[in-house]
Amino acid sequence: MELLSYDFVQRGILTGLMVGVASAIAGVFLILRRMAFLGAGLSHAAFGGIAISMLLGVDPFILTALFTLLVGNIVQLITSNRRVPGDAAIALVFSGGVALAVLVLGVAKGFSEYLFGCLFGNILMVTRSELILVSISFFLVLLFFAIFYRKLVLLTFSEEIAKLRDVKIGLMNHMLVSVASLVIVLSIKAVGIILASSMIVVPALTALLIASSFRSAVVISALVSAFSVILGIALAFYYDLPPSGAIVGGMIAVFGAAFLKKVLSS
Amino acid sequence: MYVIEIEDLYFSYDGKVNVLEGVNLKIGKGEFVGIVGPNGAGKTTLFKIILGFLKPTAGKVRLFGKEIRYFKEWHRIGYVPQRLGVEQNFPATVEELLGSVTTEERIREIASYLHIDLFMNRQFLKLSGGQQQLVLLGMALASDPELLLLDEPTAGLDLHSQMHITEILRDLSANEGKTVVMISHDIGMVMKNVDRVVCLNRYVCYFGDPEGAVEPIEDIFGIGRSLKDGAP
Repeated sequence: MELLSYDFVQRGILTGLMVGVASAIAGVFLILRRMAFLGAGLSHAAFGGIAISMLLGVDPFILTALFTLLVGNIVQLITSNRRVPGDAAIALVFSGGVALAVLVLGVAKGFSEYLFGCLFGNILMVTRSELILVSISFFLVLLFFAIFYRKLVLLTFSEEIAKLRDVKIGLMNHMLVSVASLVIVLSIKAVGIILASSMIVVPALTALLIASSFRSAVVISALVSAFSVILGIALAFYYDLPPSGAIVGGMIAVFGAAFLKKVLSS
Repeated sequence: MYVIEIEDLYFSYDGKVNVLEGVNLKIGKGEFVGIVGPNGAGKTTLFKIILGFLKPTAGKVRLFGKEIRYFKEWHRIGYVPQRLGVEQNFPATVEELLGSVTTEERIREIASYLHIDLFMNRQFLKLSGGQQQLVLLGMALASDPELLLLDEPTAGLDLHSQMHITEILRDLSANEGKTVVMISHDIGMVMKNVDRVVCLNRYVCYFGDPEGAVEPIEDIFGIGRSLKDGAP
């Protein structure tokens, strides 16, 4: 309980829980829509957004969120008419984002430390104003899933049936990509660019292994994520470990346990 | 007024080869119609045009008297697709799937009509092929549609499931007044159950009673020729 007596730990846990739950819920839908790799692409694209915000001297969270949102929607746009394969488009923004960041690092001096810090994040260094931005984003993400839950379930099942039931497929895909972009930017704060996609993929994958319904998949995914965040922060605090590695390590350990249980029970 | 009215319909995916050529069809209320034809005959493409997923290259399609470009009452149509392509770990239960398209009250009605009450809480992907088809039919019936389009609803099912699904479709057509249009490769089942048969092989080779469909079916599948040639 000594852990909770520190302000920075409280902020870290709160941020981690909100980011973890939002990413985990989004992850279930993204995996079932075969968009799991989108997280990795967008997080690296976000690297370019962070670099631009540094160069312009503006708030990195808002500009990076807008940049990632734009990139995510461009990916959706160029892949929706099947002119460019989805995985190729993601590879494009993945390398494009990193290239942009490298260019900025080369041109403008003095941001290297901050940019390298973004690669691995540090949830225990979240400021009060960042916590407020994360809270607003978290409620927006939850609101999206609460409003469109049934339509998203149908969309993951059959686009054709969804179309007939008046689901606007294109709009829904763009909204899902926008939410994914926002969640990715939140995850960067928690675990950094390199591990951000794990926040989306690993808890959802674990949940889909053991869930007995869609609703339980969403709940289990959120619980796995929340548990891993608390475990990771506690381990980081007591054993002086990097929080991002400890959080994602916890998620992978839970996945391993669930996988083992599944293999043994079958 | 016809439920489906198709006039001189042409469709090509690449602008070069016609998948459908000069298709004409008029299907009335309460009819049970079976569409047969070899692979690549354009059966599924025809469905996708009727459902507004594809735009015809030329020709007219009217649903309930309204040209398809202006048709918006998609709740009047139920559709059972041929393939789903869901992820292998798709977790939704039958109740959740039905709940994604209709209300609690309607779910109970559908479950009772199709006798799927017993597996409402089971995951869709863990059901047998026959049970899955019943759930898809349930989803298609969610909006109490006047027209049902089914793309190979009995493919890959055992005989009992095939008969069960066919009985339901016959009941929906004969007693509920729904127009049922079904694509099938099971020619015997089609000939035995439907009111009218469409033989499709890019164009409509035959459209009429099952009794008169034998020869056109032999022709489009090359069965007659094979038999005459002494093939087994």
